[in-house]
Amino acid sequence: MRENLLQPDSHWLLRLHQGEHDALAPLMGRYYTILYNYAISFSGDDGLVKDCIQEVFIDLWQRRENARSILSLKYYLLRAVKNKVLKSIGRQGLFADNSLLDNECEFYYEFSIEGIMIEKQLSDEKAARLKKLIAGLSKRQREIIHLKYYQHLDHGQIAELMNITTQSVYNLLHETLQRLKSLWRFEFVSG
Amino acid sequence: MKDYRLYEIEDFAMDEDFVRWVQGGGHADERFWNAWLAQNPAKHLVVAAARQIVESMRLEPKEVPQAEINREIGKVLEAVKELDHQYRQPRPDSFIVGKRWRIAAAVFPLVLAGTLWLFVGKQRTSSTSVYATAASSPAFIETVNGGDTLMTLVLPDSTSVRLAAGSRMTYANHFDSGVSRDVYLSGEAFFKVAGNPRRPFRVIANEIVTKVLGTSFSVRCFEQDTTIRVTVRTGKVSVSGIIVTPNQQLVYQRADRKFEKTLVESPSFIVPAKPDDNMRYEEKPVEQVFDQLSKYYGITIVYNSELLSKCTVTADLTNESFYHKLDLICTAIGAKYELLDGQVVIQSYGCQ
Repeated sequence: MRENLLQPDSHWLLRLHQGEHDALAPLMGRYYTILYNYAISFSGDDGLVKDCIQEVFIDLWQRRENARSILSLKYYLLRAVKNKVLKSIGRQGLFADNSLLDNECEFYYEFSIEGIMIEKQLSDEKAARLKKLIAGLSKRQREIIHLKYYQHLDHGQIAELMNITTQSVYNLLHETLQRLKSLWRFEFVSG
Repeated sequence: MKDYRLYEIEDFAMDEDFVRWVQGGGHADERFWNAWLAQNPAKHLVVAAARQIVESMRLEPKEVPQAEINREIGKVLEAVKELDHQYRQPRPDSFIVGKRWRIAAAVFPLVLAGTLWLFVGKQRTSSTSVYATAASSPAFIETVNGGDTLMTLVLPDSTSVRLAAGSRMTYANHFDSGVSRDVYLSGEAFFKVAGNPRRPFRVIANEIVTKVLGTSFSVRCFEQDTTIRVTVRTGKVSVSGIIVTPNQQLVYQRADRKFEKTLVESPSFIVPAKPDDNMRYEEKPVEQVFDQLSKYYGITIVYNSELLSKCTVTADLTNESFYHKLDLICTAIGAKYELLDGQVVIQSYGCQ
């Protein structure tokens, strides 16, 4: 079993391509947690998320003819899961003629504020400011933070996943970081 | 090769290698950054600040127990084996994993017919919620959107509602009695309310009540959500006494019972654009630019007119997004803006 963990994705994709069902198992084991955490941010419904992840891997099996052409499996899976979840919660076609609400798909990103508070020994006042700042981030800012600092995708992949340009990724990220910076600024200017 | 000496706080915080180091990279990262800092002592503060930022963006991942993952793997392997089996012996019905949608599809026609139908599937509503109480009353009709697309319905007063997938709505079978037209919502819906000044239209989504006279807006309140959101497209609505106008969004934090008014992420024009409406300016006093912006988007922009009296703008903002317009204007006049309580506040020291 241990050697399974060491094999690169391409190894299992090749075996999948050759028609081996069981090659799905190590891939699912490898990506399940990160897919779950991304998907649950959109829906919050555990059952729905699990069904979607199942379907994504079943689709991967059905498209095994092309499995070898997948360059980044992680990106491929994240994208597939996102589409699946959004489709399931019926949001893609929602308010189709209403550009105002079209992009309003939620993204619930759980920040570990308690953890940061303890580790950094934040004052209550600063913790409250951090909380407020995070609550004020837009869903796209939350999603970009998730993709960059948790999933560690590169800017090109983030751009495609969020359907924006690489330049917008940079801008959005920059804007988000500036907001967060304002929280710590006093410390560094005065300190 | 990256020249970290030129990096500012944000640049570090965005840099892949830097992030890897902060998030607990290996020995090589430690060695590299310690050596670099030793050579660039002036950058200590910048690096420390960038570290703080990256550390404060910590996700709290939900751990999925290994046993659960194994169970899911098992289900998928079963399913693909079954698929292959079917492939060899074609059967009329296709294989669907999970029973959720199949059940939903079976009840769908019933719901469309407007029959009173009590939710008997997986009970997600807590028995004490406002919604559950309303839904169980015989004078009400419950509509459930169990499909996976949007469902449009028309209420007795000809208000039209688009109910999102997975959402449920309950309303009286006629609106003749009572002082208001009340609708109970669990989930998300977009309303286009038929005007009737004598009988306000109210959407009751658990803790919050949205009251309108005639307008269009959406409410999102799934039982498992931690927030309730009301977004206004046209007109004005009142949510527990707070007035919400177009391009504003009211977010209710259920845990803290607090309201926060914000702007939507991409504000749109509230008046239909006319061909001669352009936003091309030449040496235009910035106050007039803000006033025009404010009129087009229905968003209040607060500024000190005395300070801004000498500021002018030369730009073509016709095709920019709302926030980009603000950015460009502020850059031009050396000002900053802040979003406060669903309004834009301009901070400036004036222009020469």
